[in-house]
Amino acid sequence: MTPVDPTVFLRLGTHAEKEYFEKTLKRFNGLIIGANLVEATPGATASLIVKLCGKPKPVPYLIDPMTYAFGSYVDPASGATRDDLDWIKSDKKVKGGKGKTTREFKSSYAKLAEEFGIIFSQSLKRGSAIGPDDLESARVRSQVCEVVLKYQLDRVRREFEGGDYAELADGIPPPTHVIAPYFYLEPSRQKEWMRASWSLLKAASSRGGNIPVFAILCAPKESLGDDGFLNEVAQQIPQSGAAGVWLWFSKLDEHLASQKELSNLKKLTRSLASRIKVLNLHGSFFSMGLSLHGMQAIAHGVGYGEQKDVVPVVGQSTPTVRYYLPSLHARFGVPQIERGFSTVGVRTPADFFEKVCGCVICRGVIGPSLSNFREFGEMHYSTSSSRRAAQTPAAAKRCRFHFLLCRLQERDSLKGKSMEAVAQNIRAGADRWKGTTVASEADHAEIWAKVLATD
Amino acid sequence: MLSPVTRYVRRKGFTLLCPEVPFFEHRIDLFGLSVPTGYTIAIELKLKKWRRALEQALVYQLCSDYVYIALPWEQGRYVELAELVKNRIGLILVGRDKCRTALVATKSLETRDYYRREYAELLRRGTL
Repeated sequence: MTPVDPTVFLRLGTHAEKEYFEKTLKRFNGLIIGANLVEATPGATASLIVKLCGKPKPVPYLIDPMTYAFGSYVDPASGATRDDLDWIKSDKKVKGGKGKTTREFKSSYAKLAEEFGIIFSQSLKRGSAIGPDDLESARVRSQVCEVVLKYQLDRVRREFEGGDYAELADGIPPPTHVIAPYFYLEPSRQKEWMRASWSLLKAASSRGGNIPVFAILCAPKESLGDDGFLNEVAQQIPQSGAAGVWLWFSKLDEHLASQKELSNLKKLTRSLASRIKVLNLHGSFFSMGLSLHGMQAIAHGVGYGEQKDVVPVVGQSTPTVRYYLPSLHARFGVPQIERGFSTVGVRTPADFFEKVCGCVICRGVIGPSLSNFREFGEMHYSTSSSRRAAQTPAAAKRCRFHFLLCRLQERDSLKGKSMEAVAQNIRAGADRWKGTTVASEADHAEIWAKVLATD
Repeated sequence: MLSPVTRYVRRKGFTLLCPEVPFFEHRIDLFGLSVPTGYTIAIELKLKKWRRALEQALVYQLCSDYVYIALPWEQGRYVELAELVKNRIGLILVGRDKCRTALVATKSLETRDYYRREYAELLRRGTL
């Protein structure tokens, strides 16, 4: 297998993240925007694409059509398969209802269903998910592919047409590739979903025109332990005519994954990469290291997103953005890291810049005093009634920018490296922090080194 | 376990005490100050899993001069005392309304004065 240079796409989660993209995207390799975000804020999203991906230095972008949102899913709380589309609904206040609420489809997904039409709008009308049966007819599959691909090619342009800024429409570059409609290959009907997905992918690939068509393989992480599944994927996706595939194993956290799971991810990557492009939609440094085995790109958000569940868990408080420790390619709490300084030999800011991180953010925050490291974890009570302290927005921002700069550095450091050198670097990083308070959360390092270093 | 441990630590001279003290994302189960000496103490209470308690205790050494883990009496036999000694962490065993120091903590070498002073001051002012 020929190693490739790794590339990194950033995924825009909300427009509140705009600043990170404006300041760093040009140094990354591409932008991903979910179609639900396009529908929630079409004007703002289209303007951002013009700004970031238009001339003079266009950055490649693509729109994730998010079609899986209309399929069945596994409820993270109960583990049951659900067809009620509830996860794309939210509680809305009833006007004049004195605090009464009603559960309705989120407007972004309602608009997306309207855009896609056919089985998508029907699914919302009847209030139940699209199933493999809905995709049995070749005519339906063909229609679905046509609207979903066309959406990605012209939705942003349409936002400007006929208005005061019509001239901007011509300046919008096409996406770097389009994504075939895809659904979550949920375990209870995985075989049926797989059959329907391969047929959809074939239909989409034959309609791509000048723009390459890519697949998204969206499956539970448990599928990585199923050899039959992996063999079928490795056979069917390249045969479909797709130019590439983004892998998305739901809930696969590469820091917590077993050696078997990661070995199988590598095996699948190697098998696919000999025929088509392979990318990871939500990957960490490990997947970037898989570039040694043919993985072309990874994607993630600005602060999180190195793993993603198909259905988000609702009702959780905003997580703290922890400090990304480059030596271990993982995030830890500020005091956990600070407690390890004496073991690692960090006594001065100069030690920190040499042994922990010397990025421009860390240099700016720490400046002349190591005690300033705590600013990455600064906490406050956001309102007078808050019961728990939370990270300040400024501290979260420092952590995110630091993470993005680290990611660029990691990407560049992998270029031209041998498998042995990468594994050695990972082990050296773990050795440096051995015996510290972060070591108990660093088991991934040895697993990564082992998996990446072998064919 | 909080009540007997609070009474016990108060008798040891740490008269200003506060439970559930936030320290970054952590919550120190019991944090205290000895006004005459100016020393601070942090205690991590756990029903079992002493190793997890030790991990947290090590972090609290950043803001406390003395750090203990407190476990139910019967859990004491599972603890590797040498591990605690090596890390200067003390051990309090908690019975019904009664506590015993199974291992005295040694003054932390990891305490950062900027955390210690800030937390001691907040305790003095009663604003923790």
